[in-house]
Amino acid sequence: MAMIETQDVKKSYPSGEGLMEILHGVSLSIPAGHCAFIVGPSGSGKSTLLHLIGAMDQPTSGRVIIDGADLTTMSEAQKDIFRRDKIGIIFQAFNLVGNLTAIENVLVPFLPRGITPELRDRATEMLKKVGLGHRLTHRPNKMSGGEQQRVAIARALVKHPQVVLADEPTGQLDSHTGEEIFRILRNLQHESGTTLVVVTHDRRFIQPGDLVLEIEDGLLKH
Amino acid sequence: MFRFAWLNLLSRPVRTILALVGLSIPVLGVVGLLSLSNGLRGLVGDTVKLVQGVMLLRTNTPSPIFSDIDPKLVSEIRAIPGIKHVAPEFWRVAPPVENTSTVLRSLTAGSSEKRLANFLETPVVLGMDIAEHNRLDSAVYQRALIKPPSVGGRFLEDRDKGLNRVVISKKFAEQYANKDGSPKKPGDKIRIGSDEFEIIGIYETASLLLDVVLVMDIGTARRLLKAPDDALSALYVEMNDPGENDRISKIIEDRWDEIDSRGMNEVEASFGDIMGEIDVLLMMAVGLAFGVGAIGIANTMIMSIMERVPEIGVLRTNGWSSRQVLSLITLESLILGAISGLVGCALAVAACWTANLYLTDGIRLIPTPAIIVRGMALALLTGILAGSYPAWRASRWSPMEAIRYDP
Ligand SMILES: Nc1ncnc2c1ncn2[C@@H]1O[C@H](COP(=O)(O)OP(=O)(O)O)[C@@H](O)[C@H]1O
Ligand SMILES: [Mg+2]
Repeated sequence: MAMIETQDVKKSYPSGEGLMEILHGVSLSIPAGHCAFIVGPSGSGKSTLLHLIGAMDQPTSGRVIIDGADLTTMSEAQKDIFRRDKIGIIFQAFNLVGNLTAIENVLVPFLPRGITPELRDRATEMLKKVGLGHRLTHRPNKMSGGEQQRVAIARALVKHPQVVLADEPTGQLDSHTGEEIFRILRNLQHESGTTLVVVTHDRRFIQPGDLVLEIEDGLLKH
Repeated sequence: MFRFAWLNLLSRPVRTILALVGLSIPVLGVVGLLSLSNGLRGLVGDTVKLVQGVMLLRTNTPSPIFSDIDPKLVSEIRAIPGIKHVAPEFWRVAPPVENTSTVLRSLTAGSSEKRLANFLETPVVLGMDIAEHNRLDSAVYQRALIKPPSVGGRFLEDRDKGLNRVVISKKFAEQYANKDGSPKKPGDKIRIGSDEFEIIGIYETASLLLDVVLVMDIGTARRLLKAPDDALSALYVEMNDPGENDRISKIIEDRWDEIDSRGMNEVEASFGDIMGEIDVLLMMAVGLAFGVGAIGIANTMIMSIMERVPEIGVLRTNGWSSRQVLSLITLESLILGAISGLVGCALAVAACWTANLYLTDGIRLIPTPAIIVRGMALALLTGILAGSYPAWRASRWSPMEAIRYDP
């Protein structure tokens, strides 16, 4: 059964006078537990598509169905909860909160509801898994780019999400660090059985068995 | 969450401190002013215990000096069962004493302490029906007369009727001293308006607010102030049983709409109300300061959220709802309000203590817990209100908009 499914998704942004259509009708299906790559040239709409899958934005038309739930019919509050519980997200620019330590950054999704010792243990465990057991109380500005991205990975996975979305997670890292990040991502995906969707324009990390979705000018190539 | 909000404030210490200062000052102002007015009321409280009667005034007049009562009522009230004495009084603000106007004095006074004291010292004329007052059990000024040999003198008697004779406070005796600098004593003269009066006695009530009264015969007072022969301001009433004060007061108020019965403490406090007008001005200034403080906090919070748009996007993409973002920003400005409140209150308490070391004349600035609570409440409210717009703004960005924002 498909974990992620989009049906004729179109997305336009207001530009100048009228609207500019970025996605011209994307239909795709990603089975649960798989690793999918969205590849394509810069500006082709990869991030836009990822944001739609992650309930961070609303398509202009079409449907986005995650784990059987149609995002396009959800209320804002439902989408907040959906993002909180089902989606782990990793960005190119690491996107940590500067004022918080590594462990607190991992716990960000839980902050508003309060941090229990149990959650703290889970976060510590997660940081150990990404190899940052010795960096728990460091601030982002005291960490290297690779370390920061590993914190972001721990944050994305700590809530045991159904879907992990990564938007060019190695875009700001050197190739060696990039490989390490992918190794960690793949290990964790394997261990947790989550569905992983990675946007990249670097095809080096694609392995046999991965689903490759090529996007160009807002359309999926087959 | 709290720690997060706190860290966010700490990350820009200078800006946070400026916002704190901006709101601490009005808190200091309001707590200080409330303490002052509380101190004045405390002054009144000291003396009322002596007083057993009630005062009948015209409804809606803040003080006997603005009140007038129909003389025909005297006999009707006297006829009410349970009433023992009804003593007619005529009260007005005094004409200039020794040719000096208080308003002028207070404006030209050097220190603000003096200025305040002078405003409280506006002389007031009390003309009393001597015979009736001497029959009272609880007459304030009779009791307050300083007995010989320390000063000498006597209170008003029937033979003083219609004559320019006056009993003044020790405070005024010192304030309106003789030319050689010695305080006025019985036998000395004092000018009230254009008339010369003989001082026959000196009193001291220990209440700053009551010690401004020039006590004379009611007929003399009406003549001095060019009032009709039967003009009345108030009736001082004693019951057979002071425990019946409330019940009989109610009977009187029910029967005559235009009459209001007050405890002496309320009446006394009204003398302090000459202060009322300044209070309004000061409160307006403090209100303005609160406005400025609120703008300071709003400004700090707006700058802070604009710097943090992508970070707020991170929170949203990680499942924070817009309401939780709203709470975070509101919490931050609430913390600013709380700290400003604490700092302002602490400064105010320190200022009151310091002021009390220098203030004489029995004025005390008393910052009670209730006043502190009010100061804190104002600070918290200002924090929340000033933070509400930035918080609302921050909560309205969509996760995608915020994360893509380029500062
Ligand atoms: N919020 C937006 N408003 C207007 N245009 C946008 C917005 N987000 C993206 N775009 C435009 O959509 C196009 C695709 O962007 P994006 O999905 O980020 O591409 P990619 O990730 O493949 O490089 C770009 O031309 C970009 O300028
Ligand atoms: Mg992109």
